[in-house]
Parts: sequence; structure tokens; C-alpha cells
Amino acid sequence: MSAEPIPNLPLEHVSELSSAAGEGRALLALRNQAREAVSPLVLPARANHLWRYTNPARFLPESDPTALTPIDVGPTWRLDEPLSVAALLAGGATRLVEMDAAARKSGVVVENLHRISVGDLLGTIVPASHGFLEAINMAAWRGGVLVRVPAGVSLEHPIRLRLVAGDLSLPRVLVVGGEGSSFEVIEGHVGGDRGTGKVIGVSEILVGKGANVRYGLVQRWESGVVGHLTARARVLTGARFQMSIASFGGTTFKADVGAFLAGEGAEVETYGVAMGGDSQHFDHHTEHIHEYGKTHSNLDFKVALTGSARSAYTGMIRIAPGAAGAEAYQENRNLLLSENARAESIPELEILTDDVRCSHGATVSPLDPEQLFYLESRGLPRLQAMRVIVYGFLDQTLARLPQTTRERIAALVAARLHTD
Amino acid sequence: MNTNAKPTFQCSGIHIHIGEKEVVKGVDLTVLPGEIHAIMGPNGSGKSTLANGLMGHPAYAVEGTVMLAGEDVSAMPPDEKARKGMFLAFQYPVAVPGVTVASFLRAAVSAVRGVDVPVREFRKELLARMEDLEMDPAFAGRYLNDGFSGGEKKRVEILQLLMLKPRFALLDETDSGLDIDALKVVAKGINAAASNDTGLVLVTHYQRLLNYVHPDVVHVFMEGRIVRAGGPELALELEERGYDWLEPAAAAGGV
Ligand SMILES: Nc1ncnc2c1ncn2[C@@H]1O[C@H](COP(=O)(O)OP(=O)(O)OP(=O)(O)O)[C@@H](O)[C@H]1O
Ligand SMILES: [Mg+2]
Repeated sequence: MSAEPIPNLPLEHVSELSSAAGEGRALLALRNQAREAVSPLVLPARANHLWRYTNPARFLPESDPTALTPIDVGPTWRLDEPLSVAALLAGGATRLVEMDAAARKSGVVVENLHRISVGDLLGTIVPASHGFLEAINMAAWRGGVLVRVPAGVSLEHPIRLRLVAGDLSLPRVLVVGGEGSSFEVIEGHVGGDRGTGKVIGVSEILVGKGANVRYGLVQRWESGVVGHLTARARVLTGARFQMSIASFGGTTFKADVGAFLAGEGAEVETYGVAMGGDSQHFDHHTEHIHEYGKTHSNLDFKVALTGSARSAYTGMIRIAPGAAGAEAYQENRNLLLSENARAESIPELEILTDDVRCSHGATVSPLDPEQLFYLESRGLPRLQAMRVIVYGFLDQTLARLPQTTRERIAALVAARLHTD
Repeated sequence: MNTNAKPTFQCSGIHIHIGEKEVVKGVDLTVLPGEIHAIMGPNGSGKSTLANGLMGHPAYAVEGTVMLAGEDVSAMPPDEKARKGMFLAFQYPVAVPGVTVASFLRAAVSAVRGVDVPVREFRKELLARMEDLEMDPAFAGRYLNDGFSGGEKKRVEILQLLMLKPRFALLDETDSGLDIDALKVVAKGINAAASNDTGLVLVTHYQRLLNYVHPDVVHVFMEGRIVRAGGPELALELEERGYDWLEPAAAAGGV
């Protein structure tokens, strides 16, 4: 028997939460199933590859997450760019801020997730069985959004979701891209200005046959936030999915992101940049699961650390038996800008079929003194030379993203470089 | 050449250690504005060590005095030397992935001129200099030295020389690995800099550069020292006879 104290997480008010949110029975059933999955709560062992670098107990809510707290209307949000859709998730409420005429005309749906009538898609990509935090989210999520882009619809401007962290936030996002649709959706995680806050977020993205979806996850919480975000896409036959993750904020942040290549010819690219400083702790896990043959995935993940920041990156590539002709490439580079920063990089490959192409690479290194000298010899003071190198290191990866998203993230990188 | 001019560059008593090993063993050199000096010497004799050490490479322990237009810059870090008007074209320019030639050069030009050069004005100037050097404008958007051919790297070093307009430039084998057209272009850049009163020191192995660039002085560098100095005819002599005949001079400790 384990001598560890058994953590207690009461989930007493699932029914009240569900009915107060006006949910139908299907959602309540999902919540109850999830609650059972974590009653009693058993935390994953630290030996588990996913939890080797971060203590799972850090993410546990301190009180019952199903207990109803008043809904906070949330801050105002001034849009500064053309968007197809803007939706705000704050304090347990969901608000549609903007939907442009094109999105309206083409039948784009943005719905409060609590009000969806059928729960048959929710939880199919990230089920409660995914892990204890995903189960807690499924039992207790509050504030959610469904975005559905109909088949064949292409949106010129991005869909932007802004998720504001409060004391305890359990947001849930479901994005459904119809067959042959093409659009970009960006989830921006902000907030935590009280210097505390816990977040357990889950996002599911269905990419229909032949669709082309760009999905971005930008995390820029205030310092003090402890958060865990899970995102998974199911990418059907012939569809393309590009995921980007940009991690800047919070005190402890763990992300578990990835995609199932769930049909022949599916293509997935994941691009990540993370910048940590002070005593920030980042833990990123990515998964590319090739369930079918003739699928292609590529991953490029960059981490730059200052202060005594810590980063762990684990990258899983799984190629299922029979997925012949799959190709998977993965690269993770870590740049350490101070002596006390530390980074780990662990590729995890499960190649269960022959006839695949697969490569992975990982590096952890300090700034190259020859690069520094080169830039300094051109008049750039040391600090500026360092910034130029770090910016280039990250921008190389960002260059693969849609132009405006790249520019916005690059601006965040530049701003961060000037404060560290 | 202006014989009344004050030296744009002067170094004296330069000794450079790499770890325990003394690689440069006492070098004195004076360069006037617009003058071109060539330094020729065998592989491993310490020419790059001298060039990098003068510029302030952190791996080298440099003794001696370095003066730039009458100011002692010996103790300055490389970026400050650059802002005072010193330039080094690297024998092996390092790649800086993710940083475009244009954004890098704009940062460098702004740092050296001490003003933020407006983007449009900068682009115009950059494209004009690239045209002078017969470079495809697409280079401006490429990552600095990343995947550049040997010759392309050298051209970009010359582009930087023309954009930064230093008082004094050390060019470490900027003529190596060039085809004949590229060599002419690089020579054109060097001559343009010299006619703008930049003092230049060219480290080279090849007399053929000197068909296009006419040095005022040729120095022979062996075993960490300048062992002989002369006019352009010395380069021809080296081409014919190699360095062996100068070994007694090197053993005797140079000029
Ligand atoms: N960082 C270093 N560590 C150890 N030895 C070094 C280092 N840099 C240079 N050296 C040594 O110092 C000597 C001089 O090297 P340097 O590169 O200055 O020669 P060079 O004259 O420029 O040669 P080349 O004509 O081949 O370019 C060589 O023996 C070289 O191996
Ligand atoms: Mg050399």
C-alpha cells in the first residue's frame, strides 16, 4: 500500500452546476461518468513519463470545482484586428464579442458549450480517461465554447477565443471543422492578474475530411498562475492541421497537446515556442499519433530560458501497426541563456510498423559565443546581440505560421526579450 | 593616399595568447586613411588570431595597444570598437539562423551610426549596395549566412563593409574561395571603401586579388610576426618563391 496521503477532491455539485448552466441530460451524463473516473482520485505515479518532471498535485484545485461561484462578467476586450469570430471565456461565462458578416452568412456557429443539445462529440477526442485532469475538467468544466465551421467554408480572418484565467478556471473548447473547410482559430490564454489562479483547460478539435485548420494556443498568463492545458485534434482523411503553441506566462505550466492522424493522407504540423524566465516551470508534451498510413507529421519546438527557469519537453511519435508509408519528423531545440536555467528533452518513439520514415533531434545548448562575437563586432552591444540571436532562434519556427499570427507572437517574443 | 593624414589605425606590441600558447608575438602596424595593406603568410602563422584578437574576440588574451583615429581602443569590447569605426570581415562568417540579412544590417547600421535608420531609407541604401555587389535582392530576406555558399558569405561580408563604412577594416581572406567574377566584385567593394578613406588590411593567400586591388604595402607574416614589408612586388615574389626563403628572417624575430 502506498504511504502517500490520498488527495481528496470533492465533486459534490455536478448536478447543480449542470442545471444552473441549463445543460441537457447528455452533458450531465458525461459529467457524472467523469466524476466516477476520479472518485476516489488517484494521482498518476511520478514514474509515468508524462509526470516525471512536474508534480501532478500542483494542478489540483484547492476546493470543490463544481461548487457554484457567481459568474463574473469578465473584462472588456477591444479588438484590434479583423476577425471572423471573437469569443470571450471569462469567469465561467462565454460571450460572443464579434462575428463578421462573412462568417454569419456562411453559417459559422459559435455556441455556449453548456447549451449544446448533443454531447456525442464532446469528450470523444479528449475523453475523461485521458488523465485525471481531463476527467476533472469533464466533470466540472464551466465556461465553454463550441465553434463549428460548416463544410466547404473558408474564412479569411481568424477566429479568436480569449480565455481569461480567474481563481479557478476549467474552460472547455470544442472546434469542429466541416469537410473541406479552411480556417484559423487561436486560443489566447490570459489573466491571473491577482498573482494566483489555477487553470485546467481542455480543447478538442475535429478536422473534417480534406479540411485545412490552423490552430494556435498562446499562453500569456500573469505570473502566479498554475495551469494545465490539454489540446487534441482528430485529423481525418486528407485533412491538414497546423498547430502552434506559444508559452510565455504562468508560474507552472504544463501542456499536453497533439493530434491523431485519423485517416489516410492526413498531415499535421506542430510548431512551438516557449520563453521562460525567473523560476518559471514549463512542461510540454506533444503527441503525433499516426493511426493510418500515408500520413505525414512534422514538429519543431523551441525553448529559450533565462533566470532559473526549467523546461521539460517530451515528444511522442506513435505510428500504429499497419500505418505504412507514414512519415514523422520531430525536432526540439533548447537555448539556455543563463547558467541556472535547465532544460530536458526526451523524444518518445513508438514505431509499430515497417515502411515508415521517422527522425527526431534534440539539443540543449547555451548561446554560441561565435555568434555573439559576430554580432558584437558589428556594433551590437552584448544584450542586444543576445536578443537578436534568441529572436532569430524562435522566429525561425514562427515563420511557418500564418503571417499575422507570426507577427503577433513575434511581438510577444520581442516584448518578453525586453523585460528579461 | 594622403601622406599628411593621421593614422586611422595603429597597433603596437601586440602579443596574443591562446591558452598557454603565444600565437602572435609582437606586431606593430600603422594604416593611414584610404591605405590598403596586404598581409600574406603561411597557414597557421596566426593571421586570423591577429585579426580576431584586434577586434576583441573573448577567447584571446591580447597585450599591446590598439589606436583608432588617435583614440586608444585597446580595452574596449568589440561592439564599442565597431561603433568607433573598426570592422572585421571574418574568414569563416558564422550563421545566425532566423535573423535576416536586412534586419541584422539595419540593427548594425543603427548601432554604428548611433541613430535609428528609418526602414525605407535603409532599404533603399541596402538595395543600392547590393546592386553594386551584383547580389540578388532576395538575399536581404535570407537568414544571415545560413546555408550561404562560401562565395556568398564573402560577398555579404563586403556588403556589411560598404553599409557600415568603417574607418578601418580587417578583411580576413575575403578573397578565398571566390570565382573570378565574385573576386572582381569583392575587389570593387574594397576599392570603393578605400576611396572613401577607409584604411584596409587584407589578409590574403593569393596574388590574384592584387591584380584588382593595389596595396600600398605588403607584409609577410610568419610564426606570429611580420617578417618583411615591401611594395606589391613582394607579393609577386612570394607567389614565385613561396615562404621558405624568408624562414631565416622569421627565426630572427622579424623586422
Ligand atoms: N581557439 C583556438 N584554440 C587553440 N588553438 C588555436 C585556436 N585558434 C587558433 N589556434 C591555433 O593558432 C594558430 C594560428 O591560427 P590562425 O587561425 O590564426 O592561423 P592563420 O594564419 O589565420 O591560418 P590560415 O591561413 O590557415 O587561415 C594555429 O596553430 C591554430 O591551430
Ligand atoms: Mg586564417
